[in-house]
Parts: sequence; structure tokens; C-alpha cells
Amino acid sequence: MIPLSWYLILAAVLFSVGMFGAISRKNAVAVLISIELMLNAVNINILAFWHYHSQSLGYTEINGLVFAAVVIIAAAAEVAIGLAIIIAVYRLRKTVVASDINVLKG
Amino acid sequence: MTRMIDIYSILPVMIVAGWALLLLVVDLWIPRHRKGITALLAAIGLAIALGFVLASSGNTILGFNQMVVLDGFSSFMQVLFLVSGMVAVALAYDYIQRMNINHGEFYVLMMFSIAGMMLMSQAYNLLMVFLALELLSIPLYVLTGFARTRLESEEASLKYFLLGAFASGFVLYGTALIFSATGQLDFVGIAAVVTAGSANSVLFLIGAALLLVGFGFKIAAVPFQMWTPDVYQGAPTPVTAFMSVAVKAAGFAALMRVFLVLFPSLSEHLTPILWVMAALTMIVGNIVALAQNNIKRMLAYSAIAHAGYILMAFVAFGNGEVVGNTVAATLFYLVAYGLTSFGAWALVIVIEREYGKGILLDDLAGIGKHYPWLGVAMLVFMLSFAGVPLTMGFWGKFYLFRTAVQAGYIGLAIIGLLTSVASAYYYLRVVVYMFMKPGEPKLQINPWVSLVIGVAALAVLLLSLIPWTILELASRAVLLLQ
Amino acid sequence: MEFGINPLVLMTFFPLVGVLVLVFLAPQQKNAMRWTALGTSLVTFAISLWVLFLFDPNKADNLLVQIPWFRLAGVPIQILMGVDGLSILMVLLTTFLTPIAILSTWKAVEEQVKGFMIFFLLLEVGMLGVFLALDLVLFYIFWEFTLIPMYFLIGVWGGKNRIYAAVKFFLFTMAGSVLMLLAILYLGLQAGSFSQPELVANRSLFAGSQLLLFLAFAIAFAIKVPVFPLHTWLPDAHVEAPTAGSVILAGVLLKMGAYGFLRFNLPLFPQASVQAAPVMAVLAIIGILYGGAVAFAQKDIKKLVAYSSVAHLGFVMLGIFALNPEGLSGGILQMVNHGISTGALFLLVGMIYERRHTREMSEYGGLWKAMPIFGGISLVVVLSSMGLPGLNGFVGEFTILLGAFGSKVLGSPWFAGIATLGVILAAAYLLKMFEKTFLGPITKEENKSLKDLNLREIITMVPLLVLIFWLGIYPQPFFNLINPAVEQLVQLVQSAALVLH
Repeated sequence: MIPLSWYLILAAVLFSVGMFGAISRKNAVAVLISIELMLNAVNINILAFWHYHSQSLGYTEINGLVFAAVVIIAAAAEVAIGLAIIIAVYRLRKTVVASDINVLKG
Repeated sequence: MTRMIDIYSILPVMIVAGWALLLLVVDLWIPRHRKGITALLAAIGLAIALGFVLASSGNTILGFNQMVVLDGFSSFMQVLFLVSGMVAVALAYDYIQRMNINHGEFYVLMMFSIAGMMLMSQAYNLLMVFLALELLSIPLYVLTGFARTRLESEEASLKYFLLGAFASGFVLYGTALIFSATGQLDFVGIAAVVTAGSANSVLFLIGAALLLVGFGFKIAAVPFQMWTPDVYQGAPTPVTAFMSVAVKAAGFAALMRVFLVLFPSLSEHLTPILWVMAALTMIVGNIVALAQNNIKRMLAYSAIAHAGYILMAFVAFGNGEVVGNTVAATLFYLVAYGLTSFGAWALVIVIEREYGKGILLDDLAGIGKHYPWLGVAMLVFMLSFAGVPLTMGFWGKFYLFRTAVQAGYIGLAIIGLLTSVASAYYYLRVVVYMFMKPGEPKLQINPWVSLVIGVAALAVLLLSLIPWTILELASRAVLLLQ
Repeated sequence: MEFGINPLVLMTFFPLVGVLVLVFLAPQQKNAMRWTALGTSLVTFAISLWVLFLFDPNKADNLLVQIPWFRLAGVPIQILMGVDGLSILMVLLTTFLTPIAILSTWKAVEEQVKGFMIFFLLLEVGMLGVFLALDLVLFYIFWEFTLIPMYFLIGVWGGKNRIYAAVKFFLFTMAGSVLMLLAILYLGLQAGSFSQPELVANRSLFAGSQLLLFLAFAIAFAIKVPVFPLHTWLPDAHVEAPTAGSVILAGVLLKMGAYGFLRFNLPLFPQASVQAAPVMAVLAIIGILYGGAVAFAQKDIKKLVAYSSVAHLGFVMLGIFALNPEGLSGGILQMVNHGISTGALFLLVGMIYERRHTREMSEYGGLWKAMPIFGGISLVVVLSSMGLPGLNGFVGEFTILLGAFGSKVLGSPWFAGIATLGVILAAAYLLKMFEKTFLGPITKEENKSLKDLNLREIITMVPLLVLIFWLGIYPQPFFNLINPAVEQLVQLVQSAALVLH
């Protein structure tokens, strides 16, 4: 059986990859994908822990499952809004590269 | 099993959310040139919710299996959010017509966001915190980009969205780690596990730190402030006003609720981090604001700086003797800051000729001479921001600094005081342009906006003579601890 | 109190009545505005005379007003006002100089008269509040409040560099006072009260950190006085301010700093005061010499007067930190003297500026021939400012030097000795100024046709001249007002000094 720590490390690595992508990528869609990666990393973390926690308790608690479901739904909502915004930007500027969108400056 | 008392505990939130859903439908039958009706209906909905908040205040209820809480703190915050919402509606009514973006969804989205904030102040479960955070943020991303034909607005929206989603990721991961450390999501359970000493302390600490990062984005604390100036500048000004007051307050509501209930045991590790964050926020906000010529950007940096002052009092969150004052001082300051902020942003709306145009300092020239009352009102707001006596801002800072001194953070208080001298410089620049430079200002005066300016200015002045009214409310708004 | 309303409260807030009337006047009713402001300030002066009539120098808490305001985190903040020997002369000086300053603006201020008069009256409220407040928070509120009207007086009605001067004035004072605010908060937390008398009684509660607290208060007050090296805002503010603003700035606002030392630093932190006295005295003497030397080098008359203020306030500080009865009472009297003499000098500079629109000494010369009344008055004022026996300046400076000479705390007669050089320096630059502007032949054509003072201007000057002679010849009534309070203060400080040695 795979120990819990492996899952947690996998989640941490995925989260870090997502974070790196979100910071380093210039294309807005790529940034959005990276952020989704971060959220999914969290889901792995939650579900793995929920599974092991339930096992050690000997009965199934529902909280982890609900949590994961809520995260998936919220992530879907975020993607919907995010893509809509990216499209709106694209219509005006014909680009989705973040560094080219820079009318706001101090 | 849902009991009546559960429903009762979140009734105002349900009213706002339900009203918003209904309004979305009703708005379909309201013609484009009569969107004032939507605004009015939105305001009525908020007012009804406000009535229920006031009626249910004074109770302390844990509802829905300890998912939500109703206590003095949440009632105070909800009044703040609802009033902010009504003010924002008043500010937006004329503005979105002038800028040709008068769609009824504007008010609906604003109501959804308010529902999220209200839920945020009541959340007693990390899952609820996350849900409330999303509910308040997602409508705001749209509101920021509401001027669809303006690239500024869309750019601000994109930036706000990307950084907001990024921050949500941190909140989530922090929540997940706390869940890993304790096996619980609701505050009661987590606190019990922590008290029993059976939590994994490393995961718990990392989780708390990640939550701090996530909330840091929402309250725009340095080093998580980089989105603020761009978003504040690009968003429609009434939305900016709403964000600078209500979103910031919601962020602090979450921060206080979560940290005061869950993490006092971690104060040894978190307090130094908060100390540095507070110091940096005050310094960076105030220093960068010195160089701004665009009033919206200047006020954005000033908003960052004010978050720093509140953080300064928050540094001592683990000190049981001070915490009561921290909460009261923060609530009091949020009121003082909110009044001042709405007034100042309302003036920006008055001078904004076209979307994003006419909001440089030069555009203020001559206001003092041609519109003396408006000039005096803005003077009051600027002095209140700077913390000069006989304004609410002074008492707010007075209380915050007192709390910091009481907790023993005198170094931090000195940083705060010196940066507030620096801040006086850029606030005075506004006064200099208004009163000491000649010019022919062209203003877009609307009765609703004028009403906001007048009431805010009077409140900032007169309440400073009777500060105990707000002070008593703030100190009675206790936060339910474990 | 059988009158129902305390005269102190009435006096402090009476100018607000004038403000209220002014708000409702139409912009073109300029004369009505001037008369309203003048009338209000005269009534305020009359109330202050009534206060003087009720005043008993031997009581520490004359006409005490004590109204609880509210409690902040358990510590009461009160509206606590009273008048004693330390403040009575300052109050009278304020109410006396304000109508004179307003009278001097009759022709000088034509733009936005309404705003000017409103700010002037608000300034009076602030100044009176500063001198009367006995609650530290209330004091701080009034203290900061005076900044706003003065900022506008300089910034809107001032000279060419007015914005720079106004902002500098505001920021300097605010920078000083924030540390004072911190000290006030700390005191309130330690002693559970913001009331000055209570804090003085419980000063053992914060005796441990009194050197730092002394410093925090001292910086705020030293900037206002101003003590060298914190004086750089003063010449700018004076040169750019309109005449009336300069009169009030020199006459009253600077005294707020020196008064702060008397009211708060000495009684609250006596040991620290004794320890800091030599340093403060050295700074005071540097101020005397530096102010005098720089004044000597000025070509602009107003700048000369401004730097002479630095020197004169140096004497005041020297007297205060001699920490004996002579020094303190001399210091207080010198504050009044400086207010009258320097106020008068600024008025005179303003009058000539209105006629010729220049303040360069080289533009004048031989004015005595063209304007004999102006010349005569100027001569008296100049002599009073340099401390000629028989006029007011002498009494103050002499008492201060006497105090500094015999001061145990300072411990050396050299302080007085060097300060005497300052008197000589004052004579040098003031006489040089007088000689260059008034004596000799008229060199410039424009100066020949200058009109002498008119009736309004003479009325403005006469009260000042009367006081110059009165204080010079028979100062005893003034000393009688301040001496009991001064002796009490000295006893308090000296008992602390005993503990120290």
C-alpha cells in the first residue's frame, strides 16, 4: 500500500509546478491552466488524507469528499469566468500575452 | 436536520442572495434607459437585509452544525458590507450611465459579492471560508471588467482574476494542510484537536502561513499588493470604491475570524511574519503613493497603507489581553476608513469626465475656489486619511496605535507614525492642487454622488466629536472565540 | 459657576460664532466680513479680560472645566481646561494679537476674504485651546488643529514660494508631534489617565522611561519653538506668510512650543528635565548666536525679523532650562515681549511692503524723511526688540540672564556670559536694518512720494506701543500673575533634582 506521505509529496510537487507556471508563464491561458493545476494538487491532498483518515478512524467521514467536490465546482466557476475575461481582452487587444497588455502603469 | 434557528442565523445572507437571483430575472423586463429601477430595487433588497441584520444582532448562534456563526462581530461586519453596498449603488447609478455601461447585472453582481462578504464574516468552517471567498471574488472579477469596451477595465479584470485565483489556490492549499494536520474543517473541531495537542504541528503551521498568504492578497498587504494599483485604476470607479472598503473589510473579517479562533497557539511563529508584513505594508504603500499623479493610483496605494495600519494592531493576535482591543480598534478603523474612502472616491467620480480621464492631480486645480463645499469635503477626507484630529481617521489611528503600544510593539508604532507623516505629504498635495492652484474644473455633479460626499464628510467630522457611539458598537461586537 | 457657561469655554469657542456668521455672508460683502472677524476677535478679547478679572494667581486650577468626553479602552478622555500662571499671559497675548492682526489685513487681503477670516478665527480657537487644555489628548487635538488654518493662511494667501513653505511647515510640525502622540499613548497606558494634573501626581508610574518620554515631547515642542537645528521651516514660513499670518506665527504659534515645555516636559519629567537642561541650554545659546549672525547677513527685512525670532526664542529656552524662578518667569515674560515686539516688527514690514511691494533693504533708505510717524514707531519697536532698558525687551532678557547666571542646574555662569553676546548681536543687526532703511538721504525716487501711516494703521500700532512701554517701565503686575505658578513648578523640579543628586 502506498504511504500517505507519497500523496502529500506528489500534491506539494504538483502545487509547486502549478505555482511556478502561474508566475513564469506570460500567456494568460497558460497561467489559468497552471492555477488549475494548483487546485487539483489540493484535491489530491484532500482526498488522500481523507482516505487515510477514514481508514484510521474505522468509519467514513464525509467532510473530505464534500470539500473536494466544492473545490471542483468552484474551480469550474473560476475557469468559466476566467476564459470569459480572457476572450473579452482578446477582442480588444488581439492578444492574450500578459506582458503585452499594459495600459495600466504607475 | 435543518432547524429554524439555522435558517435564522444566515437569513440576511439568504435574503441578499435570493433577492439578487430574483433581480436578475426581473431586470430582463426593465428597459435599458430605466436601469435606475434596478438600482433602486437592489438598494431596497440591501435595506431589507440590513433590517434583518439589525433585528438579529445581539444573538450568538452556531448554525448548520457549526458551519456558520452569528455573533456581534458578524453583525457589525454585515452592517458595514450592506451600507457599503448601498453607497456603491448610489455612486454607480449615474456613473454607469455616463460611461455607457448601464446594464442591470451590475447591481446583481454587486449583491452576490455582498452575499459572499456577509457569509465570510459568518464562516465558522474552513470550507465556508473558501466558498464565501469565491462567492465574493468571482462577481468582482466581472465587475472590474464591466466596461467591456475599455481595455483598462479588461486588463484590470484579467490581472485581478489571475492573481485572485492564484490567491484562492493558496487559501485552498492552506485549508487542505490544516485538514491534513487535524482531520477537521470546522473551527470547533480544529480548535479541539489543537487544544488536545494531537495536531501535526508542521503541517498546521504551513497551512496557517498559506492562509495568511491568501488573505494577504485580499487585503492587499505587502508583498501581495502588486495587483492593487492596476486593478483600482482600471476598474469602474464605483467598483473601486466598493473594493477598497468592503473587500478589504471582508479580507480582515476572514483574517481575524480564522486567526483569532484557530491560530493563537501559533502566534510565536506568525507574529514576526505579521510584524514584517505590517511594517512593509505601511512603508511601501505610503512611499510609493508619494510618486503618484493619478488620483486613483494614489488612493490605491493609500488603501494599501491603511491595511498596514490595521495589520499593525493585528500583529498581537495571540496576546489574549490585547485581542479585545485589536478587534474593536479594527472595526472602528474600518468604519472610519470606509466613510473617508467612500467620500474620496465619490469625488473621483465627480471629476472623472470620461472613463479613466480627468483623474490626474492637475484636474483638481481650482475646485477649492469654484466649488468651495466640495473642496472642504475633500479636505476633510484627506485630513481624515492623514489622521489629523477632529476627523474619524484620527480616532481610528489613535486606537490602532494605542493597541500596538499596549501590545508592546513600539517600534512598529514608530514606523506607522513616521509613515503617516509621509502620507500627509501626498494627501496635502491633493489639498494644494484644489486650493492653491488656479484652474477651471469641469465636474459631473449628480445629486446621489453629492449626497454621498456630504453625508460622508459630515459623518467624518461630527462622529469625531462623539466617537464613543461607534466605539461602543465596535467594542460590543465581540468575536466568538472558543 | 453662576453664569451657566464657563468663561474659558466661552472664550475658546466664541470665534466659532464669527465663523458661522462668515459662512453665510456673500463673497462680495468684504467689509462686512472684516468687521465680523474684527468684532468677534474683540469680543473674545473682552472675554479674556473677564477671565483675567476672575483669575487668581495663587490657584492652580482657575475656572477649571472638567467634562468627561468618552472612555477609550477604559481610559477616560476628558474636556479638561484650566488657566494658571503659566498660561494666562499666553491666552491674553493670543486674544490681544488676533484683532490687531485682523486689522492689519484690511487692505492687504482682497482675495477670498471670507476664507481668510474663517481660517483666522479657527486658528484663534486652536491656539486658545492649546494654552488651556489640561488633558493630553485634548491638547494634542488642539495642537494639531492649529496646523490646518495656518497651512492655508500661508499656502493660499502667502508669497511666491507659499506652497513649499506651507507644506514644509505642516510636515515639520506633524513629524514632531507624532512622536509626542506615541508618548501620550504610552503615558495613558501606564498611568491610566490623560489628565495632566493626575499624571503629574502619578509620575512615579512612568519614571523609568522618562528620558525617552521627555525626548518625544521635546522634539515636538522644539520644532515649534524652534530650537536650533530644527528651525529651518521658520524662515520659509515667515517670509511666505501674509503679514497677519507672520504676526500670529511669531506672536503666538512659536510660544506654543515653549509653553509645551513648561506645561508638560518640566512637571511630568522633572528628573529628565534636570538632566537635559545643559543640552537644551547649549542648543538655546547656539540658537541665539546663530539666529543673530544669520539675521545680520540678511538683505530682506522680513527674513531678518524671522531669524531674529530664532535668537529671541533661544533666550526663552535658556530661561526655561535655567530651571529657577528668575529664569522661568523671565522666559514667560520674554515670550510675551517677543510676541509684541516681533509682531509689531512684522506689522511694520507689512505696512511698508504694501506701499512698495519689496522687502529688500537696499530699496529703501531715508524713509524717516518721507514717513516720520512710521519712522518714529519703528524706532521704538526696534529698540524694544533689541532690549533697550526702559522698554519691554530689556526686562525679559535681563531676568533670563539673571536666572541663567545663578542657575544651579546649568552650573556655570558661562551660559549667561555667552548669551549676552546675543544681546549685542541683536543690537547690531537691528540698528543696521534701521540705519539702512530710515536714515540718510532718500536715494530712490519712488520712496519720496510714500504716504505716511493712516489712522487705521496707527490704531493697529498704538496698543502694541502702549504695552511696550508698560512692560518696560512697570512689569510688576505681569510678574505677579506668573510668579506663584512658576515657584510651584520650580519647587517640583528642584525636589526632583535633589533625588537625582
